[in-house]
Amino acid sequence: MGSLLALIGLLAAGALAAAGAARFWLGYATAPGCHALARREAAFLDAAAEAMFPPGGPLPSGRAAGVTASLDGYLALVPARMRRLMRLLFALVEHATLVFPAPPPRGRRRFSALSLEQRGAVLDGWRTSPLFPRRLVFTSLRALLTNGYVADPAVLAALGLTPYAVETPVVEADLLYPRIGQPRSAIRHRTVTAPSDGRPLAPDGPRLTGPALEAPR
Amino acid sequence: MSASAGELRVFADYAGDVREEADVVVVGSGPCGAVVVKELAEAGRRVVLLEEGPPFTPEDFVLDGARSMARTMREGGLRATRGYVMPTLQAICLGGGSLVNSAICVRPPPFVFDAWCEGYELARTTRKDLEPHFDAVSEFLGIAPTPDDVQGPRNLLFRDGCRALGISSEPIARNVRGCRGSGECFTGCRSRAKQSMDLSYVPAALRAGARVLTSVQVQRVRAEGTRALGVEGRVVAPFGGPLGARVRVDARVVVLSAGCMATPVLLQRSGDLANRSGQVGRNLQFHPGAMVTGVFAEPVRPEFGATQGYQSLAFLEEGFKLETFWAPPTALALRMPGMGVPLLRRLAELPRSATWDAILSCHRSLGTVRPRRSGGLDPVITWEFHPDDVPLLGRAASVLADIFAAAGAEKVIPGIHGLPDELPAREAAGILARRTWRATDLVSGSTHAFCTTRMHGDPRRGVVDELGRCHDLDNLYVADTGVFPRCTSVNPMLTGMALAHRTAGAIRDRL
Repeated sequence: MGSLLALIGLLAAGALAAAGAARFWLGYATAPGCHALARREAAFLDAAAEAMFPPGGPLPSGRAAGVTASLDGYLALVPARMRRLMRLLFALVEHATLVFPAPPPRGRRRFSALSLEQRGAVLDGWRTSPLFPRRLVFTSLRALLTNGYVADPAVLAALGLTPYAVETPVVEADLLYPRIGQPRSAIRHRTVTAPSDGRPLAPDGPRLTGPALEAPR
Repeated sequence: MSASAGELRVFADYAGDVREEADVVVVGSGPCGAVVVKELAEAGRRVVLLEEGPPFTPEDFVLDGARSMARTMREGGLRATRGYVMPTLQAICLGGGSLVNSAICVRPPPFVFDAWCEGYELARTTRKDLEPHFDAVSEFLGIAPTPDDVQGPRNLLFRDGCRALGISSEPIARNVRGCRGSGECFTGCRSRAKQSMDLSYVPAALRAGARVLTSVQVQRVRAEGTRALGVEGRVVAPFGGPLGARVRVDARVVVLSAGCMATPVLLQRSGDLANRSGQVGRNLQFHPGAMVTGVFAEPVRPEFGATQGYQSLAFLEEGFKLETFWAPPTALALRMPGMGVPLLRRLAELPRSATWDAILSCHRSLGTVRPRRSGGLDPVITWEFHPDDVPLLGRAASVLADIFAAAGAEKVIPGIHGLPDELPAREAAGILARRTWRATDLVSGSTHAFCTTRMHGDPRRGVVDELGRCHDLDNLYVADTGVFPRCTSVNPMLTGMALAHRTAGAIRDRL
C-alpha cells in the first residue's frame, strides 16, 4: 500500500513537473527562416516587437519591419557570451508573467501568449519601475528591438534616413588590404584614384538602394 | 604604392607557427601604437606590429550601426561596466578606434597638464612640453577645423544656440581630408576622407619597412628579471574565430598599445608583470556622457553633415565639454524614450531632431579592470559614479537644454527617469537644473577610458614614467590612454598620440 502511494505520488510529481515544463518550453509555433533563434525566442520577439512598435502608428509596425528576422541575423554575429545574456533576457521577460501576472483576464501566461494590450502593460511595468535593474531590463530589450526595427530599409526610407550613395575613391591602403577572410592575392585594386575632394554631399542627393542596404548574415 | 618595403599579413597568410625577431614589437594598432610603429620604422628600426583584428576595406563596412559594432568592436559592441552599469566600447580592427570614431582631435588646455604634473610628480608633461608632439601628429594627419560647408544644420544649430547665449563654441578639429558630410564616421568612412590609422600611419610604417601581422592575439609578455624578452600569442580568425598557429616575437623593446582595457589585462596575464606598485588595472576613469535631443519645427536633415562638427569648451573647468552628435539611425533611435505609438511618433520626428552631448570629467569616479576567467583580453570592468560627480550630469543636461531653446527647438527629450519623456524647450533647462540627480536616472555611456597603467613620478604609485617606460622593467613601455594619470576633460585620441610620439622618440634614442 505504501509503495503504491509512493508510486502515485511520484507520478503526480512527474505530471506536475511535465506540466510546468510544458508551460515554460512547449507549445511554440515553428519559426520559419530563423537560424539562431529558438522557436520560443522567435515567438517572444515577435510578440515584444508588436507591443513595442504596434500597428496603427506613423511608421510600419514591428512585425511588418521584420524585427525577429533581423535579430536572428544579429544574434549570429555577436560573441557566444553575449548571445547567452540575450537569451537570458528574452527568457526572463517571456516567463516573468507566470510569476508576476499581467493584468486580467488570464494574465498568468507566457508573455507571448498575452493580448497586445496586456503585453503593452507588462512592458510599461518594466519601463516605469522604480527599480533600476528592472528599467535596465526594459532598456536592454528596447535597444535590441529598436536595432532590429530601424535596420529595416522600409523604416529607414519612411524616416528619410537611408544612407547616401557615396563615391568611394581608391586610396593607398586599398592596395594593401584584402577583404576580410580573403588572401592578399584577392586585392582587386592596383592603382589609386583621385581622393575625396571635400565637395559637400547634396542633402537631398541620391541614396543607397538594393543589396548595399541589406544586413550581412 | 606598388609594393611596400615592409610586410603585411592577414589571417589567410598564416600556414604555420610564426617566429619573428625585431628591435621593437608593438602590440595594438590603435592611434597610439600606430604612431610608435611609424616613427620607429622611419628611424630605421626593425619593428613588428601585432594586431588582433583584421583590416577593414570599404566593402567590409556595414552601414547598420548594431551590426557594424558587432564586427568592429570587442564583445560585439555590447560591453558594459559592472557596479554602475554603463556601455563602453573598444575596437578590434587594424587602426583600432580610429576606424570607427568621429575623428575628433582636441589639445587639452594647459590646466589639464598642470594638474597632471602637480598631482602625479611629473616634471616634463606640461602642455608646452608636449606641443612639438601635438604639432608632429597634427601635421601628419592634416588635422583642421571642420569647414562650415560640411557642418549641416545639426551642427550649425548648436553654434547658433551658443552664440545666442554668449557661450563660446568652435568647429571641431578632425583628422580628415576631404570630408563630404556623409555622417558615417562610426561605421567606417566610405569617402576615405577620415585619416584613420589604417589609412595613414600604418601605410607609412609599411613604406618604412615595418612588418604588420594582423589577426594575432597576444596572450603573454615574456620577461626575465627586469627585462622583457618579447611576446607570445596565437593567430585568431576574424570576428572571434578559433585560435590557430602560435606566434612568438623576440624583441629588444616591447611596447604595449592594446588600449586602456586590454593592456592591464595582458600584464596581469603575464604573471602580474610591471605591478610592484599594485596600480596595474586600477584608477580606471571614464568620460561618461549625457545626451539631450531637441526637436525643431522644421526639418533638420540630421543625416547630413560631419558626425561631430561643433563643440564648446566653455565649461571645461567646471567639468564638462559639449559637442554635437550623430550616429547610425539604429544607434540614435535608442535615445528615444517610451514605447508603443508614442515611441513611433518620436522616431518619426528624428528628421526634425538634433542630439547633442556632454562628456564629463569624472576624475573622482574610479574603477578597475581585471582578466576574465574565460581567457582572452576582454576584461571584467567595475566602475562607480562618485556622488560628487553625479550633479555634473544635471548641470550639463541643463546647459544643453538651454542651447536647444536658444537655437529654436520646440521641445527637448531628456531621457531621464522620473521626468516626462518630452519637455517644452523653454522650460527644460530650469526643470533639469532644479532636479536632484541620481546616477541611475539615466543610462550613460563612455568610449573614453584612462589611467589603468598610469604614469607617476613615484614608482610606488604608478606603473610607467613620463616617457611611458614601466618602472619595473627597463625595456617595457606602455603607449595608450592607460598611461594618462587623470582624464583629459576632452577627447583623448590626440593626447594619446602626442604622448606616444614622445615615447617613440625615447625608444629611438636608446636603440
